[in-house]
Amino acid sequence: MSRRYDTRTTIFSPEGRLYQVEYAMEAIGHAGTCLGILANDGIVLAAERRNTHKLLDEVFFSEKIYKLHDDMACSVAGITSDANVLTNELRLIAQRYILQYQEPIPCEQLVSSLCDIKQAYTQWGGKRPFGVSILYIGWDKHYGFQLYQSDPSGNYGGWKATCIGNNSAAAVSMLKQEYKIDEMTMQDALQLAIKVVSKTLDVSKLTPEKVELATLTRENNKTKVQVLPSKQVEELIKKHEEELAAAEQEKKEKEKQEKGSS
Amino acid sequence: MAAEQFGFSGELWGNGPTPGGFYSTPGGTTTPQHGPTKHTLHPMTMGTSVLGVKFDGGVVVAADMLGSYGSLARYRNISRVMKVNNTTVLAGAGDYADYQFLKEVLDQKIIDDELLGDGHSFSPKAIFSWLTRVMYNRRTRFNPLWNQMVIGGFHAGKPFLGYVDKIGVAYEAPTIATGMGAYMAQPLLRDALEKKPNMSQSEALALLEKCLKVLFYRDARSFNKFEFAIVTEAGVEILQPRSAEANWSIAHLIKGYE
Repeated sequence: MSRRYDTRTTIFSPEGRLYQVEYAMEAIGHAGTCLGILANDGIVLAAERRNTHKLLDEVFFSEKIYKLHDDMACSVAGITSDANVLTNELRLIAQRYILQYQEPIPCEQLVSSLCDIKQAYTQWGGKRPFGVSILYIGWDKHYGFQLYQSDPSGNYGGWKATCIGNNSAAAVSMLKQEYKIDEMTMQDALQLAIKVVSKTLDVSKLTPEKVELATLTRENNKTKVQVLPSKQVEELIKKHEEELAAAEQEKKEKEKQEKGSS
Repeated sequence: MAAEQFGFSGELWGNGPTPGGFYSTPGGTTTPQHGPTKHTLHPMTMGTSVLGVKFDGGVVVAADMLGSYGSLARYRNISRVMKVNNTTVLAGAGDYADYQFLKEVLDQKIIDDELLGDGHSFSPKAIFSWLTRVMYNRRTRFNPLWNQMVIGGFHAGKPFLGYVDKIGVAYEAPTIATGMGAYMAQPLLRDALEKKPNMSQSEALALLEKCLKVLFYRDARSFNKFEFAIVTEAGVEILQPRSAEANWSIAHLIKGYE
C-alpha cells in the first residue's frame, strides 16, 4: 500500500509520513555505531570501526571522524559517500564564514545551515534524502562545549550524550542511566564511552582496532581535537574490563552471602 | 552574421574594462566607451573627513554633519555615524547615497542575526571583516561603494578601530583619519597618542574636537557641526550634535583670495 507513496521523496503518505526519510533512517540503523558524550571539560566521540579489512590501506587521521574546522569535528553513521558530500559542505560553510568574518562559526549555526540543506532534499528537487546521521562536537565562545545530532529529515538537537547507528537505542538508554548531569569529567566520559560501546558492538572482546575514540578539549585558549592512540584506548578497555571483573566478583560474594545466610 | 544566431554579439568583451578606461574621473573621460555607461562611477553628495581614536576603555569616532554637492554645502544636518550593534559603530566618508545603502544592508544583517536567537552577536572585527569583503568585491566588479568607512568598537575588553575604503584597502590602527583629515588631523592625533598612550575618554573627545576645529578652518568641504560616537564596555553612545568655538578674527588679515 505504501509503495505508491514512497517512490517520490517529496510527498506525504496518507498517514502523513515521509517514507523516504524513514527509509533513510532505517539505513542508518544498520551502520556503524557513533557515540558522543559531553563532559565538564571536553567532549568524547566514539565510533565503531568496520573497515578492518587486512588489505585496506593505512588510515592517517581517522576513518569516521572528520575535522570540520579548528573548533569542531563530527562523526557520521550511514551511507559513507553521502556522508562525504555533507562533511565537505560543512567544511565549506565553515570556511565561508571565516572568510567573511575572520571568526569561527558558532557551532549551532553550522549545524543549522547543513540541516537546512538536508531538509531541502525532503521537500523539493525530487532527489532522495541523504542517508546520514551526524554527531557534531564543538566549542564556541558563547556556549562552550556542545554536542549536536542531525538526521536525514534535517532535524537537529543539542545533547548531553547520544548515539546513532547500530544498536543506538540500547546505547541511549544505557547513557540515560549512567550519565551524571553536570558531574562528568573527561575521564568519566571516556570510561562511560568504552562501557557503552562494549555493550552495543556485537563482538565478544573489544579491541582498539574495533573502535575509534576522539576527544575535543580546550588548551591554552585553543581547541584541541585528538584521536586517541591505540595504546590509550587499550588502557581504557583494560580498566573497563577490570571494573567488570570487580563487579562480577562483588555479585558472586553477595550471592554467596545470601546463600550462606538463608 | 552566422555568429549572431549563437548569441555572440560580436563585441570582444562587452561590459568589461576598457584599456585605459578603468576609472572614470569626475572631470569626464576622453577614452571611447563601449556602449552606454552602465554603472555610475561619479559620487554625488559627499561627506568629508571621518576621525577615530582609541582611548583607555573604548574608542570614539567623529564626523561632521555636512553633505556637500560639489562645492555647495547642500545638506547641513545629515548623520554620518551609525550604531551597528551594542559593540560597534560605523562612520562613513565619501558618497552619502552609498553610505545610506550600506547602512540599510548592515541594519538588516544585524536584524537577521538577532532573529537566529542564539545569543550570538557580531564583534567589531567580524563587521570589519565582512565590510572589507564587500568593498573589495564591489571594486573588483568595477562598481565600488565610493566611501571610506571607519569602524569603531569595543569587544572582549579591547577597543577596536579599523578603516575600509572603496578599493578594499583595510587596516586597523589606534588613530584613523580619512580625506583631508589624513593630512591635517592624523599628525595631531598621532602626536597626542604618543605623548599620552592611554588617554581618557574626555581627553579623546577634546582631541577630536580640536582636530575638527582645524579641519573646519582649513577643509573647504567641512562644516562646524559634528557628531561623536563613543563605544565602551557600557555600550554605544552617540552624543548630540555639537559645534566647536571657531575664531575667525584673523581672517581679515588673509589677503589675496577676495
